[in-house]
Amino acid sequence: MTATTTPSTATRVPAPAPDGTTARRRRRGRPEPIAYVFLVPALLVFTVFVVIPALVGIFYSFTDYVGFGGWSFLGLRNYVALLGDPGIREAYGFTLGFAVVTVVVAQVIALTLAIGLSKRIRFAAGLRAIFVIPMVVSGIVVAYVFSFLFSNTLPAFASAVGLDPLSQSILGNPDLAWLAIVVVSAWQTIPGALLVYTAGLTSIPGDLYEASSLDGAGPWRQFRSITLPLIAGFVLINTILGIKGYLGVYDVIVGLTGGGPGNATSSVAMTIFGGFTGGDYAYQMANATVFFVITVLISVLQLVVSRGRNIRL
Amino acid sequence: MRSKSMAGPPSAVSRRSFLAGAAGVLAAVPLAACAAPGGGGRRTQITFYEQKQEVIAYFDELLRQFEGEHPGIRVVHDSTTAIAPQFVRGEPGDVGCFNDNLELARYVSRGQMSDLSGLPSASTVRTDISELTDQYATFAGRTSVLPYSLAAAGVIYNKGIFAEHDLPVPTTWTEFVDVCTELQKAGVTPIYATDRDTWTLWQGLFDYSVGSLVDPGEFFGRMKELGTEVGPDSDVSFAKTLAVPMERAKTISSFFNPDHAVRGYADGNLAFGQGRAAMYLQGPWALSQIALVDPDLEVGTFALPVSDDPDERQARVNIDLCLYIPAATAHREEAVELVEFLMRPEILNAYNADNLAYSTLKDGPPQQDERLAGLQQYVDSAAFYQGAGTFVPTSIPLGNYLQEAIRSGNFDAMLDQLDADWRRLAGREATV
Repeated sequence: MTATTTPSTATRVPAPAPDGTTARRRRRGRPEPIAYVFLVPALLVFTVFVVIPALVGIFYSFTDYVGFGGWSFLGLRNYVALLGDPGIREAYGFTLGFAVVTVVVAQVIALTLAIGLSKRIRFAAGLRAIFVIPMVVSGIVVAYVFSFLFSNTLPAFASAVGLDPLSQSILGNPDLAWLAIVVVSAWQTIPGALLVYTAGLTSIPGDLYEASSLDGAGPWRQFRSITLPLIAGFVLINTILGIKGYLGVYDVIVGLTGGGPGNATSSVAMTIFGGFTGGDYAYQMANATVFFVITVLISVLQLVVSRGRNIRL
Repeated sequence: MRSKSMAGPPSAVSRRSFLAGAAGVLAAVPLAACAAPGGGGRRTQITFYEQKQEVIAYFDELLRQFEGEHPGIRVVHDSTTAIAPQFVRGEPGDVGCFNDNLELARYVSRGQMSDLSGLPSASTVRTDISELTDQYATFAGRTSVLPYSLAAAGVIYNKGIFAEHDLPVPTTWTEFVDVCTELQKAGVTPIYATDRDTWTLWQGLFDYSVGSLVDPGEFFGRMKELGTEVGPDSDVSFAKTLAVPMERAKTISSFFNPDHAVRGYADGNLAFGQGRAAMYLQGPWALSQIALVDPDLEVGTFALPVSDDPDERQARVNIDLCLYIPAATAHREEAVELVEFLMRPEILNAYNADNLAYSTLKDGPPQQDERLAGLQQYVDSAAFYQGAGTFVPTSIPLGNYLQEAIRSGNFDAMLDQLDADWRRLAGREATV
């Protein structure tokens, strides 16, 4: 977020400054050279710790390297092997499905909560603080707490009230375990989205609602014609960040199901990480490269679609 | 508030002096790092990698003793959990003490370990134990590791529950099934299982079911030779060779606690410690955890019988610790000194006696702990095997497959899946 806002604020800096000289005018709209200097540290860190390791990883995905010792080129063999690996295909299917479902669930709930909190209700500030708590707890801790709830509390409760289908933990059921992961991931990420939506809602001028209610618009009409279009950018950023985050889902699954039962909840990130401990470094680097390309494509697609509808970030 | 305090330094200190100070600090860091090795005077410093949590303090003690005897050598004990980064960086240390498994085998098979066959202590190791390590990997002409500690595992059982129901320790498969059935009838959970931690499934259920029927070392040796040829027509395969063992596993899993699918290792130790189950398919590492729950609980261990011939019973063992000297060491002489020190019979035997393990030396003393007494005969007569699950590369999620097989009861599908995975891995030469 900060990285993307830095250049844009820098470009805007000269604009409001009152100036009369022609030299200054020529530079209008272009960044001050000093802006590039400010970018250097971030760029350096990003290059050294993200870009270079990523490129090294991509390079090794074409080899049989195990992390040490010698290696030889395999060409595209790792990639061909990936296509024929049912475990990998299942992981992609699960991860993509999970990301889509969770992003929808989380956005709907976050937006609903944000709208509720933006009304003049009692204890709004206190409630907001409570809703944000999940954000500050680490994912693995949340997952272990929920794991206990799902395996002990919920079944005990269900058998006490006679809800037989739930008397067995859903974590042990390959058809339902993914639901638990959606619930926990959504619970954990809703606060972040909620904050963004709250910011978005406060940016809408109140007189728009006043004017529309004078014209006879009801709450639903107001939501569709004023709120939603004006926070479309916020919805977009939340969706992109959400999808990106959910695609990388790891700690919640490790804490809840460990990828099981069977491989029902194994995510792509988990298969990639398995390569480091399993001596499958190059193969999983190929997997990571494919995953990276897919993530970029999804993000670009989202941007293109939103540009087409005139939504700006 | 924050921006104010951040704006502070430039006004209080001039920018130039601030930058100079920062540069000085940065320059000092690597210098300090360089100074450390020389800190001990003219002593040579070597690094010892050992990361088994429970015995880090134990080895620290031994290292201080070693330094006392060798004033010229300083040993740094590095307990970083992963050894891969050290090898990746090309700094694998001078002496390592690690679990002998497929991970270590990767370094052995690629010649990353130096030859220890010339060391005086190498000939004191039981050959039937050193042969076990060759089952994972070898490097031609080298003794790459020296087995240090042998752990044996079987079925841990609650002696009180067995006595209460007047049940014998089973010596055949039929007896074992009878015992389980009796317990079930009496309303006692026969076996506590913890599917949630998948390693417990292959370590217990899978390994014990296979080991006494099929020799894992031989089976996987042949599987490696076959590679992509593994299938319905090959002389061995998961589906063919492990069919009977997995029938056993299926039967055993029918005696699990009803909520086994969502229980983890810690739940299991707690439940068994509280006497909520009669048997527990775990290794000696669980004994100390169970003792935390109830120090007075009377437990014993027996090797799981999976055939009706009592003489075919074997114990699952693993080389819990082995010593190696990486080929890349710059202090081989000092490293050898340390290995020879640790391999001294009085030190090695004491370590194993103290840590519920077995000596790897010829004429090593028996393990005195009575909780493990039931396994001594197998260790003495080398009636042991290394768990089949330890031969399966982590790229094949065996534990997860077992979860699914136990749930559905379809172990045959799991074996077919394992064959398919094995072929695929062999196709890209990733079976070690």
